[in-house]
Amino acid sequence: MENKIIYGVTGIFDTPDEIISAVKQVKSSGFERFDVHTPYPIHGMPKAMKLGTSPLGYFALVFGLTGAFAAFALMTYLMGYNYPLIISGKPFIPIPAFIPVTFEVTVLLASVGTVLAMLFLLFKFPNNSHPLHDTNYMKKVSSNKFGICIEAKDEKFSKMEVIEFLKKIGAKDIEVIYYDNDALNFKINIFEWKFVAFLVVSALVVSGATYIVLNKLMFAPPFNWMMGQHRIDAQVESKFFGKDNFSMRVAPAGTVARNTNQFKFSGQPELAEAKLINPLIPTEENLRKGMKKYDIYCSPCHGYHGIGDARLNGQFPNPPSLHSEKVRNWGDGHIFYVITEGQNSMPSYSSQLTNEEKWAIVLYVRALQRAMNAKEEDLK
Amino acid sequence: MSIEVLKEPSVIEGKPTFVEIDEQISAPIDKLPNIKYLIALGITSTMLLIGIICIGATFFYGIGLWGNNNPVGWAFDIINFVFWVGIGHAGTLISAILFLFRQKWRTGIARFAEGMTIFAVMTAALFPLIHVGRPWLAGYLFPYPNQHHLWVNFTSPLLWDVFAVSTYFTVSFVFWYIGLIPDFATLRDRTKSTIKKIIYSILSLGWRFSNRHWHNYEMIYLILAGFATPLVLSVHTIVSFDFAVSIMPGWHTTIFPPYFVAGAVFSGFAMVQNVLIIIRKIFNFEHIITLDTLEKMNKIMLATGTMVGYAYGMEFFIAWYSGSQFESFVFINRAFGPYAWAYWIMVSCNVVFPQLFWFRKIRRNIPIMFVIAVLVNVGMWFERFVIIVTSLAHDFMPSSWAYYKPTLVDFGILVGSFGLFFTLLLLFIKAMPVISIAEVKAVLDGAQPHHTHNGGHNGK
Amino acid sequence: MIAINYQRKELSSKLLKIGVLLLALGFIIALLGYVIDHERAAFNGIILLMFVMSVGLGSLFLIGLEYLVGADWSVPFRRIMEILAIVVFAIPVFSLPLFANLHTLFHWTHIEDVMKDPILRNKMPYLNEMFFSIRSTAAFVLMFIFWWLLAGRSFGQDSTPTKNFRKITVRISALFMPIFAIVLTFMAVDWLMSLEPHWFSTIFGVYYFAGTFSVALAVVTLFAIYLNENGYLGEGIEGDHYYNFGALLFAFTNFWAYIAFSQFLLIWYANLPEETFWYLHRWEGSWAVISVGIIIIHFIVPYAVLLPQPAKSDPKRLKFIAWWLVFAHFYDLYWLVIPTYSHSGAVFGWMELYPVLIALGTILILFYFFAKNKNLLPIGDPKLPKGINFHL
Repeated sequence: MENKIIYGVTGIFDTPDEIISAVKQVKSSGFERFDVHTPYPIHGMPKAMKLGTSPLGYFALVFGLTGAFAAFALMTYLMGYNYPLIISGKPFIPIPAFIPVTFEVTVLLASVGTVLAMLFLLFKFPNNSHPLHDTNYMKKVSSNKFGICIEAKDEKFSKMEVIEFLKKIGAKDIEVIYYDNDALNFKINIFEWKFVAFLVVSALVVSGATYIVLNKLMFAPPFNWMMGQHRIDAQVESKFFGKDNFSMRVAPAGTVARNTNQFKFSGQPELAEAKLINPLIPTEENLRKGMKKYDIYCSPCHGYHGIGDARLNGQFPNPPSLHSEKVRNWGDGHIFYVITEGQNSMPSYSSQLTNEEKWAIVLYVRALQRAMNAKEEDLK
Repeated sequence: MSIEVLKEPSVIEGKPTFVEIDEQISAPIDKLPNIKYLIALGITSTMLLIGIICIGATFFYGIGLWGNNNPVGWAFDIINFVFWVGIGHAGTLISAILFLFRQKWRTGIARFAEGMTIFAVMTAALFPLIHVGRPWLAGYLFPYPNQHHLWVNFTSPLLWDVFAVSTYFTVSFVFWYIGLIPDFATLRDRTKSTIKKIIYSILSLGWRFSNRHWHNYEMIYLILAGFATPLVLSVHTIVSFDFAVSIMPGWHTTIFPPYFVAGAVFSGFAMVQNVLIIIRKIFNFEHIITLDTLEKMNKIMLATGTMVGYAYGMEFFIAWYSGSQFESFVFINRAFGPYAWAYWIMVSCNVVFPQLFWFRKIRRNIPIMFVIAVLVNVGMWFERFVIIVTSLAHDFMPSSWAYYKPTLVDFGILVGSFGLFFTLLLLFIKAMPVISIAEVKAVLDGAQPHHTHNGGHNGK
Repeated sequence: MIAINYQRKELSSKLLKIGVLLLALGFIIALLGYVIDHERAAFNGIILLMFVMSVGLGSLFLIGLEYLVGADWSVPFRRIMEILAIVVFAIPVFSLPLFANLHTLFHWTHIEDVMKDPILRNKMPYLNEMFFSIRSTAAFVLMFIFWWLLAGRSFGQDSTPTKNFRKITVRISALFMPIFAIVLTFMAVDWLMSLEPHWFSTIFGVYYFAGTFSVALAVVTLFAIYLNENGYLGEGIEGDHYYNFGALLFAFTNFWAYIAFSQFLLIWYANLPEETFWYLHRWEGSWAVISVGIIIIHFIVPYAVLLPQPAKSDPKRLKFIAWWLVFAHFYDLYWLVIPTYSHSGAVFGWMELYPVLIALGTILILFYFFAKNKNLLPIGDPKLPKGINFHL
């Protein structure tokens, strides 16, 4: 008993009015290191104890401003400089769109920061080894009584005098509170084997779990769907769509380009040759248009000059020259027919070219043919 | 002038002593669960199990199991999300806004409502996670320096949602926990079981009821209430931005932010009232959660329901006034189109039935108010259904219109969300004090010193 | 329970003198304005009308709100609101010159233009002079009726308190709220939104309400502090009462910002030409400065001043910020109305002063005459002692 260090002397009161007047007397007797313990906050107590204004408002202000500034600066940097993207036609730094996130971060930081500051800085929590814990006094003030504790650290403290004083102001159940020696002498030893073992085990568990989750679990079904998904690569054989091994789809039969009617002479090249007449006249404009479309659609196989010397030469059945006797003797309608319907390996271009463009190509092919087989009189 | 007018009735009936308060509030925690509780828990956990099975199926087979179709790409997932976030709002309103307005009647229900907020937000947060189909990649929602050198899109309202909902959850949780600390300390000093004592000691952080602490504690309560108030407005505002920043007719309307907030408070109060009616019956809290409190909640429901009605009317008026044919079409289509049934459920449940609360007799009749509040929840769920589904199902291109039909899995997840919410709530009731012991004590008659002078409590 | 220590004190005639001076000056400017440039004068007339409506209708709303929520602290100030609400009777007077100038103010009154414009033609059932006048008249009549029901009935209570007075008035207040919402919305739509008849915004009524609430509260705050400091309100009213004014002004500063930001963000983000043009008008030339100014004047300054807790109960700072909010509401109305008159840039001259002078002069004079023979505290109200003895 005599080894114990004294913490303070406590006394109990029954009503809020009593405790307020007791506090005023304690204060006026010059005690500074004392505390009042009540099951709920009592109106007027801060005034009676002469506590100043709580500093928490300033904490909140500082944390809030930090949050606002940090959020706004981060967004400005990321969206405006680090990875600028135009999103829905807004500027890189769309200030109105930053306001919601700025607000949220401000509130988050201000409230959480202030609470943590209060608990850990002001109250020095968590603290379950305070001498007042587990005393009869604490059991009473946590339920229905109002208590005062005058601490031994107070300059005017002397055990007997304080007990007398508390009796004088009407306190009941006066108790002397001592520090717990075990708690007082407790020293943290970070090399204690239990603690080290705890650290090792938690490190192993955490890293093992992380490894399993990231390297094993994520590759197991159903988490791995998108890793093994089917796909197609352009110009490469593929079974993606079925048995035809084509990766690119052929347009359904009868598909025509926009603003184009169904071809009337399907399967009837002779009739097409007889009935169709090129509606275009060989103006420079029409020839240029034909050249443009020819270079896009025809040249990959037939070559830029229609000789059949394109890059694909040798990889496919070689495309025929457009300067052969046969082609030169075809009517315009027949060439038109071949472009529309295709021939041998050549596919149909009816879904890609309008009638007008086809006729322009016909014109251009005629021009190529004439250039390749120029006669004497052409030079004049 | 009669003196009765002056005497404000105490918010706690029956003049209990402090010790009685301790005993009554901690009774559900101290006693073993009875059969009624176990039956209730059985029902809710079955519902939860249904939801878990449906969510599991969704993860395994993909969200093709849901009824979402091409124009209606957002359906039950976001409806449920908005619904549950809305439910949460009443809790913050009761604990923070009514605190700022010094409404003492909130004391009996604040803790419970805060708990509901947290569980409702947790339930709501489930839906954004599952609707992406691969919830384990949800980390991408947060801006962090990653190996892709990619950042989130800070101009997207969906990202604002991430910030708003996570901030809302965190701040609500902190608010709730701060309120619980003194109560944990009271329980710590009451309990006889060693294990419980250790748990309560850890949770109470070593609270000593010191008035030097109470002084800061009251300040932090005020600060948190001050932050939670704009926060709760911002959360549903941002949820409404998800829709309103688009150009979709029926979504893009400027009244959406306050209208969503009013709707959220409306449905939240209905849910709180429903649950409280059951709780006060089961645990004999009738004198703490009084009929007056319930009546006040009904009044708030009447007010917010009327605000929602104002927004419905304003939307209709401006849809016509704007002269935009798409807007006018959407609203006529809502009321008379293929989803007219949902629209009229919404209007009758949200605007018409709450008008019964104009009558004091109905406001104070527990069975009737219970039914009305259930209807309000149904109506508010359908409000989100109407907004989301009717606008999407009939958008700008008539060629892509389609009728949305939810599947069984959709309903299973909806049932599961209720299961999750109520299971958490039931566990909360058994694990923690559902009524704030310290706050209730502070508002009992005779709990505060008499005002002999002007030295009033300094709340600043 | 403390006894009410209240002696009626004669109102200082200084109020009247200042009021008459302001009104006379404003009246001369207005008259000159209508002679020189009747278009500009009429647009300023809308500012005057809407400001007075904010104060009058807003005071009625504050009375109704007090009854509904059963607030204690504001009971000693209810008489100020009741007297202030008398300005609703000035609203029709200020609307007369505007009705005479409808053709100058509202584009939708030009039938020949309307017929050419399919959107405006679509709105004709609503936007036509006949229905417009009916709506405004109905709104004025409703304001008068509710002035009597909410405010006028209360004066007799001082000498002969009736039983159930509070109970009945609470019911009236409940009835008043939806009607208030509708009246306020349609007045805002008619007089402010339809200035640009193509533009529409569903939140507009709420936007005007946010300004109305804060300006009505600011005017009540000014009168309350002035009267209390000069001993007209008896004893016992102090910091804690002021704190509520400060807190509510702070709350509604934020509410205004919230509504204004919501409206702007949604229109800015969706970028639909049928909505954005309204903001683009307010971004042309020097209007951009005014538009940025409204953020500072209506939000940042009052927010910063009212944020610290002591500011909310400090009468000096409260007085400053209440005057500031009165100014901010004028500024807001100027920003809403004048861009329709002057598209290319902001204009400000002597003529823009008259709405301010006339509005303030009218409020002072009406208050003086109406308050002259009345108690400035509702001494018949059994809640009054509790209200005076209010502590946080």
